[in-house]
Amino acid sequence: MGSNASIMLQQEDLQNICQQTGFTTKQVQRLYSRFKTLDKRDCGFLTREDLLCIPEVNINPLGERLIDVIMNDYGENNKINFKQFIFLLAKFRHGKVKASTTEFNTRECKLRFLFDMYDRNHDMKIDRNELLEVLKMMVGGNIHEEQIATIADHTISELDKDGDKSITFEEFCKTLERIDADDKMSMKFLS
Amino acid sequence: MISIAALVLALAAMNCSLGVRSLYVRILGFIFDYATKIKNDKELSNESSDEPSTSTPNSSTSNLVERSSDDPIEMTSDTPLVSGSTKNDETKSNETNETSLETALDVQQKVSRGSSQSDIQFRLGDIMDYTRQGLEAIVDDEVTKRFSSAEEMAVWNLLTRTQQQHEYFSLRITALWFLGFCVRYFILFPFRLCLFILAILWMLCSAVFLKYFPGKNAKLRYGFYINIVLHRILSRVFSAIITYHNTEHRAKSGSICVANHTSPIDVIILSTDNSFSMIGQKHGGFFGMVQRTLSNTANHIWFERSEAKDRHMVAEKMREHIQVKDNLPILIFPEGTCINNTSVMMFKKGCFEITEAPIYPVAIKYDNRFGDAFWNSSKHDLFQYLILMMTSWAIVVDVYYLPPMTIKENENSVDFARRVKAVIAKQGGFVDLEWDGGLKRALPKEDFKQKEQRKFYEMLKTE
Repeated sequence: MGSNASIMLQQEDLQNICQQTGFTTKQVQRLYSRFKTLDKRDCGFLTREDLLCIPEVNINPLGERLIDVIMNDYGENNKINFKQFIFLLAKFRHGKVKASTTEFNTRECKLRFLFDMYDRNHDMKIDRNELLEVLKMMVGGNIHEEQIATIADHTISELDKDGDKSITFEEFCKTLERIDADDKMSMKFLS
Repeated sequence: MISIAALVLALAAMNCSLGVRSLYVRILGFIFDYATKIKNDKELSNESSDEPSTSTPNSSTSNLVERSSDDPIEMTSDTPLVSGSTKNDETKSNETNETSLETALDVQQKVSRGSSQSDIQFRLGDIMDYTRQGLEAIVDDEVTKRFSSAEEMAVWNLLTRTQQQHEYFSLRITALWFLGFCVRYFILFPFRLCLFILAILWMLCSAVFLKYFPGKNAKLRYGFYINIVLHRILSRVFSAIITYHNTEHRAKSGSICVANHTSPIDVIILSTDNSFSMIGQKHGGFFGMVQRTLSNTANHIWFERSEAKDRHMVAEKMREHIQVKDNLPILIFPEGTCINNTSVMMFKKGCFEITEAPIYPVAIKYDNRFGDAFWNSSKHDLFQYLILMMTSWAIVVDVYYLPPMTIKENENSVDFARRVKAVIAKQGGFVDLEWDGGLKRALPKEDFKQKEQRKFYEMLKTE
């Protein structure tokens, strides 16, 4: 792909991406033009600021955290190029039908992404501080510090089965067992 | 050349049309269909067989991603029948949030909940909706796409600038494109440039005429006709084909005309049928000179950027203008910036606070097939934009005059603005958005995020 955005999507790259991610060619092309729209300076990659410019992401309480996850886990050095971008988005394709599942968009991948929204030090555990951070982002100044702490403690104590005062990925998945995470975390890409 | 110029001048003065432009546009239509057919045939043969090829082409407003109904963040108040203040909107969207999230929570294992306020429960899965909505916004959001040219068209109009990716399709298409290029740049463009010079000459002559002509009323009396003729010449510069609807609702003197804004050409389009006093910020350079010259033929209201922030002063000037009997109606674009003609964004309430004057809404709808009129000011400056316009095929536009509206008794100016916007959106087939056009260059205010946090908190509380 290179870092030059004005190189148009080459045919072999296109085929490769479609095969690996499961997107159709039209979907990839549309996502590519979306990428170019967001890449205002036309440099071949997106930065945090580019993503934060999107008003709906900007006003989302978890907007910055989402961008953190995207930039750190899928891009590098505050840059994400188109290939990384599309492999990230491939995770969120619906995986209901057997034929549309690739290695990227399994239910576990989606849950893993959610887990990563909490677990920023990548130790495979959501500890008290990480939970507190997310809670603060979600409720802002509407709840007192102490009350937030209480809520966090309550949540951990409910879900922590092995007593290590943090939530592992297995415990996380268990609590979301009853929710159709695949459905809620999937986006319907139109072509 | 001179004879053609004289002909155009005469036609403009008498408001006749030879029908040349309509014929031209029809021929173009056929050529485009032909070119698209070739392109589609080529594409189908290239595509792999497992894709069910959709024969319905993409419309310029189709989304990339289908939004789910449990989005916790809602910004559009797209029901024009909602009366009352924004408070109603908030409670309304809160309710829909609760019910949609409620069904998800039913599935989840419910731990016993206390009824007291201090017993708020947070579940790890509560971040799902916000995360998904954030991702959806990254893939496709309602706002960013309004500030760049609308997406691919069904029919390719032989302009490389509208192609997302220019692929080599076939020799025939490339030949057609090249032919089109030559016609546009070497035949149409010089012709239009001459007309443009003619228009400038007319403007200068009339300015001189009015300055030295005795009598104070000259400006108001002759200004009207001079303006219209000027704009008719200008519209021929862009090969504009304008269709007016409902001309009985043309704005009258002592009123305010509001319209959606897509490009600087909007002014020319509207001025071919009616003369207006414009209101806007004083620009420098080329545009500033244009403003000063135009001021000779009509009473326009230009203000300094620093004054613009003082809304009272501007409103005062507008009120004074309206009260003078023969003054032209004021033309104003409440969006404040150019939007790409697929939607209308928030109308600034400034001009809706002037309750003495009726508001005449106008919807301007461009047909993108022959030339995209949207001015992307971060991509092209005014001069480049004008060149682009003069080398397009034509500008085809529908102007819909709408019945006058006045503020209702218990309505505040924000709601009135919203009501007018909804009427324009409905007529033009635009998406009615609550987002501010200022987001083109600025980030949303902190308040919005805090509002979302509040909504989440309320939702947690009431579970």
